[in-house]
Amino acid sequence: MKYNPLTLAIGFILLVVFVLLLFTFQVRTTEVSVVTTFGKPTRPITKPGLYFQWPWPIQKHHNFDQRIHNFESKFEQVLTSDGYNLLVMVYVGWKIDEPELFFPRFNGSPTRAEENLEGLVRNAYSGVVGKHPFSQFISTDEKELKFVEIEKEMLEKIQADVRTNHYGLEVRFLGIKKLGLPESVTQLVFERMQSERALQEGKIRDEGTRLSEEIRSRANLESATMLAQADAEATKIRGLGQSKAAESLKTFEQDPALANFLQKLEGLESFLKERTTLLLDESTSPLDLLKPTPPASTAQPPSSAESGNKKATRGAQDIGQ
Amino acid sequence: MKDLQLTSNPKPEPPHELPTPEMTEDAGSQALSEALRSSFAIVKILMIGLVLVFFGSGFFTVGTQEKAIILRFGKPVGEGEKALLGPGPHWAFPSPVDEVVKIPIGQVQTVASTIGWYATSVVKEASGTEPEPGPSLNPALDGYLLTGDQNIIHARGSLLYRISEPGLRFTFDFADAAKLVQNAFNNALIFAAANLTVDDALKDIPGFREKVALRLQQLIGQEQLGVIVDRIDLQPIPPRKLKPEFEKVLAALVNRDKVLNEARSYENQTTSRAKSEAAVRINGGITESNLMVQLVVADAERFTELLPAYRRNPQLFMRQRQQETLQRVLANAEYKMVLPGVANGKPVEVRLQLNRETPKPKTPGPPPAEVDKH
Repeated sequence: MKYNPLTLAIGFILLVVFVLLLFTFQVRTTEVSVVTTFGKPTRPITKPGLYFQWPWPIQKHHNFDQRIHNFESKFEQVLTSDGYNLLVMVYVGWKIDEPELFFPRFNGSPTRAEENLEGLVRNAYSGVVGKHPFSQFISTDEKELKFVEIEKEMLEKIQADVRTNHYGLEVRFLGIKKLGLPESVTQLVFERMQSERALQEGKIRDEGTRLSEEIRSRANLESATMLAQADAEATKIRGLGQSKAAESLKTFEQDPALANFLQKLEGLESFLKERTTLLLDESTSPLDLLKPTPPASTAQPPSSAESGNKKATRGAQDIGQ
Repeated sequence: MKDLQLTSNPKPEPPHELPTPEMTEDAGSQALSEALRSSFAIVKILMIGLVLVFFGSGFFTVGTQEKAIILRFGKPVGEGEKALLGPGPHWAFPSPVDEVVKIPIGQVQTVASTIGWYATSVVKEASGTEPEPGPSLNPALDGYLLTGDQNIIHARGSLLYRISEPGLRFTFDFADAAKLVQNAFNNALIFAAANLTVDDALKDIPGFREKVALRLQQLIGQEQLGVIVDRIDLQPIPPRKLKPEFEKVLAALVNRDKVLNEARSYENQTTSRAKSEAAVRINGGITESNLMVQLVVADAERFTELLPAYRRNPQLFMRQRQQETLQRVLANAEYKMVLPGVANGKPVEVRLQLNRETPKPKTPGPPPAEVDKH
């Protein structure tokens, strides 16, 4: 019988494929694997690639997803060290680290691993959360706030537990996902918030009134001070003016009688400037000319003229207004 | 396939070896062999076609906003960033040898926070048929955040992020990376609120957002999520039950600002008025003083001018000046009356009646003074 080379080649390839399928397996980059020989884990594989195994029933491989899984705990009530009931939920990033431990322990089931993690998280709640007061979970004071530290402590506790229990897992990180208060407490918080708001409202209103009054009174005080200063300044200026004017006194000192006389004249003129009613007697110069005959010689002395003038002005009344 | 070849090859031979005693049989087997040959040719073509299709299925294209990586027997081909294939057509061995994994590097992904908002749904919110807020919050249903001053607020946020280069970690190291990003975002919200007062969290949204972003950045670094945060949107609100109380405080704040503004404008007005009044008073002083000085100086000058004349004959000088002045005064006076100093040996008595009822003194008419002679 003659065989076609092509036929032979194809046959060979098929044989190779068949053998490869029987004797090899792949581990994807996202996976780890464990090879069991007669059901006993004998070879853990943590690197991706193509691997050899004896065919069933001698050896068998079990591949596991080695990516980091997100596990979320229940929203559980925990008592803080100062007696507050706090509801906490955390998320945990974990992955299969040692497949040869993981496989027999959880029968290769991530779900079962997470059930065990749940227990560890609960331990961490009572062991870590119970040691901290409520104010370290939430606080406006950054020094008092121990949020990150608490997460770290919980993570360390869980990591230690995982190690001692030989779960073959690695817990990478842990974060608080949710914080809450029991339902009855939220009602109390609401009531407190309500009264706080009312207080704040009143405070703001009072503050507004107080500040505006402060501003107004300050404005009044400032303007009064400004005016007083201006008055003082003006008085000072007037005083300077007067002292400057006084310098001219020396001039008048040359003849005080003349100075006095001139001033009187000026005073008289300005006093009787407008809408004046004058009642004069005939002895007033020049009305004395109205008298029948001036008997004798001399003109009146200035003193008598002055006195006549005085009379006249005394009798004068400004009745215009 | 093998069977087919083995059985089909020997069949066409008999016609050549044994020349035909029975022509009918020969014709029959010839026809059969012809048929087999032609069908075998078809099968061959089909097989070649299948092989071509098999290798052709290894072609794939990478889009502009993604990268791809080839896993050969489960292991990345190439190291680190070199393993990444950019946009364009590529070829890989078909499965099960190679596997192509695409990484959406440039695409913006969105996650929303899952904590912090009260129990509602998009439909209810859009239609405005949300249930009335109860007196308390059910932790199983209602989300909320605790603020640093132990108050409760609601807040929801959305996070826009991209996978950072090379994206291998995001793709291969997490079972559900998006979920972890979301939880990191949730954690950042809780953390930020836990350090803020209720007023800061509600009013200073940029500050709140900054705290969230900072914490998120830390977590992304710690957990090595391999993402870049593009944008964070936050919407904090007070508990719905306390909405009126919070609004009252807001109104009080607005009112306070109004009152303060009024006071400030009063202050401005008053002080500027006082300033101008002060200037007026000072200027008044200056004017008065200048005037006085000028007058005195003028008087002094006049005095100096008149002094020589006065000294020559004081009496005449004085009389003349007096007369001049008197004339001017008399000329200016509105009413003038000349009375005798003494009449019939008695002094003259003058009575003035000031009449208030006739308010027309400006017109020159009857003299307002009535003169009686006794």
